Amino acid sequence: MKVAVGEVVLPGDQCEEISLVGEKSKVILGPGLRKEVDGITITKAGTLKKRSPNTYWVDNYQKRYIPSRGENVIGVVVQKAGDIFRVDVGGSCSASLSYLSFEGATKKNRPKVNIGDVVYAKMLVASKDMEPELVCVDSHGKKGRLGVLEEGFVFKCSLNLVRKILNPECPLLNSLKNEWPFELAAGLNGRIWIKAKTMRETIAVGNAILGCEYLNTDEIKSMCTNIASILAGHVS
Amino acid sequence: MITDNDELKDFKLRPMKCECNYLNRSDGSAILSQGQTVAVVSVNGPLDIKMQSQSIGKATLEVLFSSKGGKPSIGDRYKEHVIRQTCESAILGCLYPRTGITVTIQELEDYGGFLACCLNACCLALLNAGLAMRHTFAAVSCAIDEQGNIQLDPAPAQLETSRATMTFVFESREKSLVTAFTDGSYSDSAYSEAMERCRSASDLVFQFYKQIVSKYSYVIG
Amino acid sequence: MSEVYKLIHPVKFFNDYISKNVRPDGRSFSEQRNIKLNVDAIKTADASALIKCGNTSVICGIKLELATPKAEEPNKGFLITNVELPPLCSSKYRPGPPSDSAQVTSNIVSDIINNSKCVDLTDLCIVPDKLAWVLYCDMLCLDNGGSLVDACIITLMASLKTLRLPTVTYDPETEDIKVDTNVQTKLKLNGLPIATSFAIYKYMDRNVTLVDPSSYEEDMCGGLGANLILCYNKGFLCSSQKFGGSNFSVDCEEKALKIAKERAQLAEEVIDVCIKNYESKTNTV
Repeated sequence: MKVAVGEVVLPGDQCEEISLVGEKSKVILGPGLRKEVDGITITKAGTLKKRSPNTYWVDNYQKRYIPSRGENVIGVVVQKAGDIFRVDVGGSCSASLSYLSFEGATKKNRPKVNIGDVVYAKMLVASKDMEPELVCVDSHGKKGRLGVLEEGFVFKCSLNLVRKILNPECPLLNSLKNEWPFELAAGLNGRIWIKAKTMRETIAVGNAILGCEYLNTDEIKSMCTNIASILAGHVS
Repeated sequence: MITDNDELKDFKLRPMKCECNYLNRSDGSAILSQGQTVAVVSVNGPLDIKMQSQSIGKATLEVLFSSKGGKPSIGDRYKEHVIRQTCESAILGCLYPRTGITVTIQELEDYGGFLACCLNACCLALLNAGLAMRHTFAAVSCAIDEQGNIQLDPAPAQLETSRATMTFVFESREKSLVTAFTDGSYSDSAYSEAMERCRSASDLVFQFYKQIVSKYSYVIG
Repeated sequence: MSEVYKLIHPVKFFNDYISKNVRPDGRSFSEQRNIKLNVDAIKTADASALIKCGNTSVICGIKLELATPKAEEPNKGFLITNVELPPLCSSKYRPGPPSDSAQVTSNIVSDIINNSKCVDLTDLCIVPDKLAWVLYCDMLCLDNGGSLVDACIITLMASLKTLRLPTVTYDPETEDIKVDTNVQTKLKLNGLPIATSFAIYKYMDRNVTLVDPSSYEEDMCGGLGANLILCYNKGFLCSSQKFGGSNFSVDCEEKALKIAKERAQLAEEVIDVCIKNYESKTNTV
């Protein structure tokens, strides 16, 4: 079936629009699209999206993480093996994280990371044929926001929910941050770490995020005010 | 769609109802009812599997079928075989080498056309899991009675009087045949006619898939 | 050299043959392998047959037993088929309980026999609700060279054709059973189902249908066993199974049906000739 941008697509559908653009200029195919001999084929079910000038992808529902280069993820250290830590990021096999890829780490000065710690890291190598590799520094050797996440609370959700709340157009985080202070790290592997002053507030943030999965913009706004009023009512 | 409305009325299937993401903890799941026949399918993967069963070129697909009674039988192995072969042709396994994908099917109610219902539920669960696929597939069953009439998606009462039952699975791209299995004996012409009827009726299943996906697609992004 | 090429570029190696319209073993696409059939191969069995079809060889033995019919079907006997795939026949199988593919093959064979209704189970009943024949048909694969179901069905049918049931007298009062092996009757068969396997390979944009595939061809076409099995009995289809392989278009379908029909006749002749020879030999001795 022929489909266009913005439509709901199913695997096996073909998009002529992309191949036409592709003849003139370079096109970037995101997840859910595949180039075949006879055109561009959809491989996942969802909505076909486009970002100008020519990036296309399918926004689909997914829970299982497939490692992809450059994404920030949240993982749990499961094993220390010599020079590397094994980190569970929810993919098909655990990722490796060298102890040298922390800010200021040297052979002598090892970073303090223990089994069970939660780390916020960037995917450096992610290929279907190789074990994924994580780093906790950027190319300048600075840690930025990456590193071990102390305290807080981690929960799992679907991958598209993480993308949804990180989308600048999504009002959730903007509405919530005005209500009460909290820290949040969202891993594109479907794990979210939150830390607020009290347990109540932490749970409120978590529920707000999980609750917005199937809501549209207006509904999210009203849900946020609703949660805030409940929280305020009980606290005061 | 080339088929006009008059023709579509002819190709009536039993009402389908589906809930995707029915199971909370699996990567993808679906419960599908076609008439009174109900099946639940859960898909997990790509997962880490033991070295022995890994294949370097593609994902290893494992299908587990459990019947209502829970006792394994040779018939169940056959069903697993049918479902595995169908899913394998649909999943782009080469994107997930050295991993395993597990598909688990639980029988809930069997009121005719059970394997067709399982296959459709599998397709929905795979869509829900977000695994890359070449195409979707739709299974349609039909029965041929003593007079040679073809009845699509037969109910149990119609199955009892039938001389043959057939199930065909078509893919969404060119509507070509992916899987077929039959029961009973019949003539060549009846076989070809039944296949054509099922092929046309598979459109209804594909429309249903689209409807299900549309329901949640616009809000999750 | 070609062995190395086959190992390094398995798909290209196969494609090279297909593009020249020939199969790796030298056959054309619609050519089948020779069938060699031998009946009464096991003297201790009540009926038996051995088939060699290319490299595939299957031996079938039938054992007769007496039993009480099931309460739900008091006037029916039993026909129990079983296919065994020991490690002997291919490196794919491991010792131990029946593998999945053995169970699937068993299921396909028993489905074909049941669907074709070639044996009327009521014929196997001696005294309703009291006594009936059980036919244990065991098929053992000695060498799996592809198209296993075809070979199984042919040996099974050849064995059934040579099967003779001894006369049994049952005394309802004393419940005494007397078996007279001197007076034997032939088992009535309703037609002769013959299965034909196909492998379907997608080369460029066309579907190539390979009749009677070898195990190598089956592996290349991505299925566990053959992709398409069509079974004819007296001009009627009694089974059509397709799994895996390339997807299938309508014109290929028609061609396959035609080939299957022709092969059914051919195989039927083979069985008839073989049995005729066997019978003339046993009568003269």
